[in-house]
Amino acid sequence: MKNKTKLALSALLLASMTVLTACGSSTATSSSGDSTGGQDAKEITLILGAYSTPQEAFKVIIPAFQKQWKEKTGQTVKFQESYEASGTQARAIAGGFEADIAVLSLEADIDTIQKAGLITTDWRTKPHNGMITNSVAALGTREGNPKGIKDWEDLAKPGVGVLIPNPKTSGGAQWDVNAIYGGGLKHSEAQGKKDPAYAADLLKRVQKNVKALDKSGRASMTTFENGTGDVVVTYENELIGRNLEGQHYTIIVPNDTILIENPAAVVDKNADKHGVRQAADAFLDFLWTPEAQQAFADKGFRPVDPAVAKQYESQYKTPPGLYDIKYLGGWDQVRKDLYQDGAIWDQGLAGK
Amino acid sequence: MIQNKRWLRRSVQSTVLVYFLLLILVPILGIYVQGLSGGWAHFAESILQPIAWDSVLLTIKLAVIATLINTALGTMLAWALVRYRFPGRRLLNSLVDLPFALPTAVGGLMILLLLGPQSWLGSWLAGHNIEIVYQQPAIVLAMIFVTFPFVIRTIQPLLEELDPSEEEASYTLGATRSGTFWRVIFPAMRPGVIGGAMLAFSRALAEFGAVVLVAGNIPGKTLTASVQIYGNVESSNPSGAAAVSVLLLTLSFLVLWSVNLLTERKDAR
Repeated sequence: MKNKTKLALSALLLASMTVLTACGSSTATSSSGDSTGGQDAKEITLILGAYSTPQEAFKVIIPAFQKQWKEKTGQTVKFQESYEASGTQARAIAGGFEADIAVLSLEADIDTIQKAGLITTDWRTKPHNGMITNSVAALGTREGNPKGIKDWEDLAKPGVGVLIPNPKTSGGAQWDVNAIYGGGLKHSEAQGKKDPAYAADLLKRVQKNVKALDKSGRASMTTFENGTGDVVVTYENELIGRNLEGQHYTIIVPNDTILIENPAAVVDKNADKHGVRQAADAFLDFLWTPEAQQAFADKGFRPVDPAVAKQYESQYKTPPGLYDIKYLGGWDQVRKDLYQDGAIWDQGLAGK
Repeated sequence: MIQNKRWLRRSVQSTVLVYFLLLILVPILGIYVQGLSGGWAHFAESILQPIAWDSVLLTIKLAVIATLINTALGTMLAWALVRYRFPGRRLLNSLVDLPFALPTAVGGLMILLLLGPQSWLGSWLAGHNIEIVYQQPAIVLAMIFVTFPFVIRTIQPLLEELDPSEEEASYTLGATRSGTFWRVIFPAMRPGVIGGAMLAFSRALAEFGAVVLVAGNIPGKTLTASVQIYGNVESSNPSGAAAVSVLLLTLSFLVLWSVNLLTERKDAR
C-alpha cells in the first residue's frame, strides 16, 4: 500500500515536471515560429502590447489595417493583443514579453522599454512626436453636478468625496494628479506668481477629501459607478467612453487643465527578431491616418491629426488654459517633485 | 528489488527537495536578498517611513481582528458541521472551501456589490451613518472571507476523531455539559483552533486581491501592507517593496513556525 502511494507520488511528480518543461518549450517554439514567418510569408503575426483604454478603438482600427495590408501586399496579418495597465505593460515588455508594437499611456512608460534596450531608434521623430492620441484631465460628477464642481479648487471643499487613482500604482494616474498640482500652479499664477507651495497645499487639501485611491483609472471609474464619491478625476476619454456605454455623468473640463498625450512605438528588437518590421512600421503609421484617428475620436480621444480634430471640433472644446507637461517642467522634473519616495504626493498623505 | 526501492525513494526525496528549493526557497531568499541589498540603514528607512510603517501596523491590527472573529465563528461552524445532522449539512460542508477556489478579487467585488452605496443594505447603513466599504470594516470583512476555511478545516478532523467514549465517561462520572466541553472536548480541539487561527492570520496579512478593491487604500487609514508593496512594485521601487515584504515574511514565518512547534508537542504527547 505504502509503495503504491509512493509510486503514484513519484509518477505525479514526474508528470508535473514534464508538463512544466513542456510549457516552457511550447512558448519558446511559438515565438521562434513567428521569426521563421519572415517578410514574405503568407501570414504573419503582430503582437500588440497596449494599455487598456484604447482597446475599444483598436477593435475598429485593427480590421481596417488588416484589410488594407492584405490589399497592398497579399499578406494576412494576425494580431495578438494584450491590454494591461500602462506601467504593467511597459514592465512586461521590458522584462521579455515580445510585443512588436507598444501603445502606452505616457512617455515615461515607452522610456522604460527604451532603457531596456528594446527600442533602438528615436521614436519621437515620428509624426506628432510619436503621440497617437490626446486627451485632457477632466472631472466627472453625478448627473447634473449636484455639488456644483467647476474647478480644481472645488475638489478641496468640505463634504466633497473625491476619487483619484493612485499615482503610485498607476502611471496613467499621474496625469490626474499632475492636473490638480498644475491647477494649483495656474491658480497662484493668476494671483501673481507661480507658487509651487500653493500647488502642493492644494494637492494636500484634495488628498484629505479622497474617498479611495484605487489602483488604476479603470478601478476608480468602477468605484464611482458603484456609487461612492461625488467626483472622479480622470481622463476625458474615459468619461466619454462611459457615457457612450449608457451612463449619464456630467463631464467638466476645468479652464486650466493638462493635455494628456499618449505615445506609440515599434519595439525594434522584437519586430526585427520576428521578421515583421515592415508590417509593424506600417501599422504604427496607420495609427495617424484619418481613418484610425476617427476611430480614436469616436471612442472619446482627442485626435492628434488637425483635420480630424476640426471634424470633431464641437465634441472637444479646447479649454482656454490648456497646458502640457512642459509647464510642470517635463516628466523627469515631475517625477522628482511629485512622485519620488517622500516627495509632495507622499508628504501630503503622511501629514494626514 | 530492495536496491530498486531505495533508488526510488532517493529519487522521490531529491525531486521533492529540488521542487521545494526551486519553487519556495529560492524566491523567498531572493526577496530577503533584494530587501537587504541596500544595507540595513536603507532597509530600516524603507520600513520606518510613515506610510510603510502605518500600513504594516494597520495590517497587523486588522488581521488580528479578522482572525479573532474567524476563530470564534469557525469553531462554532466546525462544531455544527460535525455534531449536528441537519438538511443541507453536506452542501454547507462543501461550500466552506469555496473562498479558496474563488479569485479573491471576486470576493472583494461581492462585498462592494452587497454593501456599496447602491445596494439596499449599503444605503440602509449609510442612512444610519455607518460606513463600511472603503473603510476598515470592509478590509476586515475581506480578510474574513478569504481566510474563512482555515479554522473550520483544522478543527473538523479533530472533532471527528474524538472518541465518544471519553465524553460518555465524563458524563458518567457526573460532569456537567460545560464541564465536559471545557475539560474533555476543548483540549482535543485546541491545537486545531490555534493552528487554524495562525494560518488564517498569516493569510490575512498577505491578502491583496479582495482588499485592494474594498479598501480606500489611503495611507494611515485604509492602506494595507500588501497594497503598499504593490504600489512600490508599480512605481519601480523594488527594494522598498522587498523591505516591507521581508517584514511580513518574517512575521508569517514566526507564526507558522510556532504552529509547527505546537502541533509537534501535541504529537509527542
